[in-house]
Amino acid sequence: MAQRHYRPLQMHRIAYTDLTETQMTQLLRPAANGPSSRSVVSNALAGKRIKIVTDGGPILEYAFRNGRELELSENGGKTIKAKYGALESRSLVLISHMIPGTQRGYTLTVDQRTGLATAFEVFFSGYAAIETAAAAEAKRPPQFKMGRRNREAQRKIWFGYVDSDGAPTARHTFTNRLEGKGIHWRQDNDIEILEFYLSIIYSNMIELTRFGGEMTTCAPSDYIMVNDHQFIYSRIECEFAGTFTLQLIDLFDMTQKGVRLGLNEKDELEYYLYTGQGEVVGQIASFEAFGNNAETRGARRVYRPLETFETMSDAEVKDQALNHAHSFGDGKGSGAAGMAGYKSEVVTRFAGKQLSIRMDNGPAIDYDFVDGKKLKWRYAGDGHWREAWYEMYEPDEELYFFAHFLDAEFPRSCAMVALDMKNGLSTLLKGATGTPFRNNETHPTYYFGTFQTEGAPTPPTYLRHGWTDEMVGECVTWNYQRGNPGLSSMHFYATPSTYSWIIFQPDGSGGMQWSSPGWYSKLRDGVYIMAWVEEACNGTLGVICFNQRLMHDAGFGFHVGSRGLSLSVIGARARHAGKFNIKQYLGLKA
Amino acid sequence: MTTSHSKRSRRTFFLQGGAALGAGVAASGGAAALIVERTMPANDALAELQQRLVLLEDREAIRQLHLTFTQLIEAQQYEAAAELFNETAQLQLSGVNAQGRSGIRQALAVQYRDQQADVLHNAYRHSAVQKNDSLTVSDDGQYASATFHVEAELCAPLRGDFTLAQMARLQGCAADRRWEAGRFKVECVRTQGQWKIASLSYQSA
Repeated sequence: MAQRHYRPLQMHRIAYTDLTETQMTQLLRPAANGPSSRSVVSNALAGKRIKIVTDGGPILEYAFRNGRELELSENGGKTIKAKYGALESRSLVLISHMIPGTQRGYTLTVDQRTGLATAFEVFFSGYAAIETAAAAEAKRPPQFKMGRRNREAQRKIWFGYVDSDGAPTARHTFTNRLEGKGIHWRQDNDIEILEFYLSIIYSNMIELTRFGGEMTTCAPSDYIMVNDHQFIYSRIECEFAGTFTLQLIDLFDMTQKGVRLGLNEKDELEYYLYTGQGEVVGQIASFEAFGNNAETRGARRVYRPLETFETMSDAEVKDQALNHAHSFGDGKGSGAAGMAGYKSEVVTRFAGKQLSIRMDNGPAIDYDFVDGKKLKWRYAGDGHWREAWYEMYEPDEELYFFAHFLDAEFPRSCAMVALDMKNGLSTLLKGATGTPFRNNETHPTYYFGTFQTEGAPTPPTYLRHGWTDEMVGECVTWNYQRGNPGLSSMHFYATPSTYSWIIFQPDGSGGMQWSSPGWYSKLRDGVYIMAWVEEACNGTLGVICFNQRLMHDAGFGFHVGSRGLSLSVIGARARHAGKFNIKQYLGLKA
Repeated sequence: MTTSHSKRSRRTFFLQGGAALGAGVAASGGAAALIVERTMPANDALAELQQRLVLLEDREAIRQLHLTFTQLIEAQQYEAAAELFNETAQLQLSGVNAQGRSGIRQALAVQYRDQQADVLHNAYRHSAVQKNDSLTVSDDGQYASATFHVEAELCAPLRGDFTLAQMARLQGCAADRRWEAGRFKVECVRTQGQWKIASLSYQSA
C-alpha cells in the first residue's frame, strides 16, 4: 500500500486563497521552465516542425529545438520560446508548455499515426471574464461569492490536425466510452489514486495518497476519444485548488501519461508530467439511449454550491428553529413532493402504544404514540412530555423507521429511529444543526442500542446494529419523482466515510456531481441505513433505510435555512447500476 | 385594366402548406400566385405581378417571424422572443398568458426563465398535418392571420430547493416531458414597415 497522508481538512473544507492576478503571475512564473518529470521525457519531436490547425481555434506552428525547448507562433504571430515536456503513449505524444510571461499555455495531444491533434489551451485568471459573460447571457447575477477564482484553471478545447498533405476530415471527439469505468492508478511519483468516470462531464477521485483515501471528491471533466483504446481525460478541481490534470489513458496496456498544472492548497506550483499503471476496478452501467456516444456533448457545466449556499448566524438559525420549524406537513402529512415521490405507506402500528429506546452510551428516549401522526417523547428521567409530528415507515418486515423533531435543547435536532422488532434492536440517528464551518449545516450522531415495547423480543446482550462497509463500491440509481423522466440521480457509495451523487442529464448521460461525508450501518442482511450531510453544499442531512431486496428506501431529510427548519420524507425506487471492487484500497493503514 | 375589386380578391386567398413549418405556405401559394392571365395587357400584368410579389414577401416574412419565435423559445432567448411582439400584443402559451410586450417580456422572464410556469414549451418539430397550415393577409397588407400546425414538447419544471432539484434544473432537466400535436393561431400587424406579432395562442390538437 502506498503512502497515505491523512489530512485535518478534506478538500471541501480547505479555505483556498483567493489569489489576485498579480499573485498568480508571480506563482506561475516557474512554470516557464516547463514541467518536471520523474520519468524520462520523450524526444519524439526533437528537431521537428509541426503546424497544428484547429477547428475554429488557433493555428499553432511549433519548432521543437530539442526534447525540452520549443518555439511557437500562434496564428502567424510573433515567435516565442518556451520550455516543454513530452511523453509518448504508442503513437500519441502528450506535450505541455506554458507561454513565458503569461498565465496560459497549451497541452497538446498529437497522434503521429493519424495526424490528428487536440489542443487544450489552459489559462488562469480567466474565471471572472467567462462567468461575467455567462451570467449576462443567462440573465442571472455572476457568481463571485467565493472570489474571482484566479487560481482555477480554465481550458478551451480545440480539435484539429497536423498540417501536412491535405486536411483529414476525421477528428478526435468527445465521448462517453469511458463512462462507468473505475481505475486504480499508481503513478511514478508515488501518488496512488482511484478515478471513476461516472459522468460525461464530471469524474470522481479518491485521493489515496494526497488525502488519505477518506473521501471522494468530484471535478468537472472532459473525455475525448482518440481511438478505441486510447482516450484523453482531463479534469479541473473547481471549487478546490483549481488544479488542471490531463492524461492519456491506454486501455490496452492500462497506462496513463499525464500532466498536472496548478497551485496546491499551500499555493505552491505543481507542474509535472507523470506516468502511471492502472487496474480497472469495475464498470457500471450507463443510461443513455443506445447510439448516443456523446460526440456532440453540450457545454460542460460546473456545479458551484458554495455560491448558492447561504451562511446564517447562530441567532438566525435559532430563530428559524423556534419560529419556522415544520415537519411532515405539520400534521397534514408529508405528501409526495420533493424526494418523496415513491414513499411507502405510512405505518401507524404503534398508535396508542408506548415504547422506549435505550442507546448504548447514548440517550434513552420514552415514546407515547398518540396516534398515527403525533407522538409524545421525553428523555428518560424527564418529567415533561413533548409533542411532535412523526411519520413511520416499514422498510423491511417488522423493521420500522420514523423521525421527529427534538426540541428540548439547542442546537435543534431531530431523531431518526429504526426499530427492529425481530431482534429488539434500535438505531438512533440524531441530526443536529451546526458544524464548525457553518451554523446552518447539519451533522449526525449515531447510536446503537435496544428498545422495549409490548411484544418486542428480548434484545441481545452484545449484538447490535453496527457500522458496515458492505455497501462500499456500490452504485445505485434513485428515482424520486414520477414522470418522464421524473427526478433521478445515482449514488456512488465510494468509501466507508463518503459518497457521491451524480445527476443525470436530459439524455440519460451522467452529468454534474457533488460528494459528501457518508455513514453506513447495517440493520439486517440487505438492509442498511445510509446517511449523508451535504457539506459545503445545502447542509442537509439525508438518511435512508435501504432495503436491497425491495430496491426501495424509506428516509428523512433534515435541513435548516432561511425558509425554516424542516424534517421531510425521502422515498425513492432504486436500480442497481453496478459495483466497483475497491475495498482493498481503502480503510486504515496496516 | 384590372379593377380595384380584382386587385383585392387576388391579395386575399387561402393557402395550403407543405412539409416544413409554414414553408409549404410559401412554396405552393407562390407558384399559384405567379400565374398571370395571358390576355392581360402588359402594364396590368406587371402591376399584378408586383402585387403578388409583395404578397409573397409578406407571407414569407410572417412565416419567418413565427419560425423565429419558435427558435428563440427553443434557445431560451426569451427577451429576444418578447421583442417580436407589438406593444399591445397578447400571448397564450399553455397556461402562460400575458398582455402587452412588457407583460410578455415579464411573463417569459418569470414563468419561463425562472421556471415558475406549470408547463413550458421546450421544443418544436414538424407536424403531420402541416398541410393544413393557413395564412391570410388583409387587402391593405397591414394585417395577417395564420394557423401553424406543430408538435410541441411540453415540460413540467422540477420543483424544490433541495440540492438534487437545483442541480437537475441547472442541467435542463424537467420533471416530465411529452410531445403533443397542437397549433399556433397567430395574428400579425405591420408596424413601421415591419411585421410584429399582435396575438399568439397555442392550442392542443
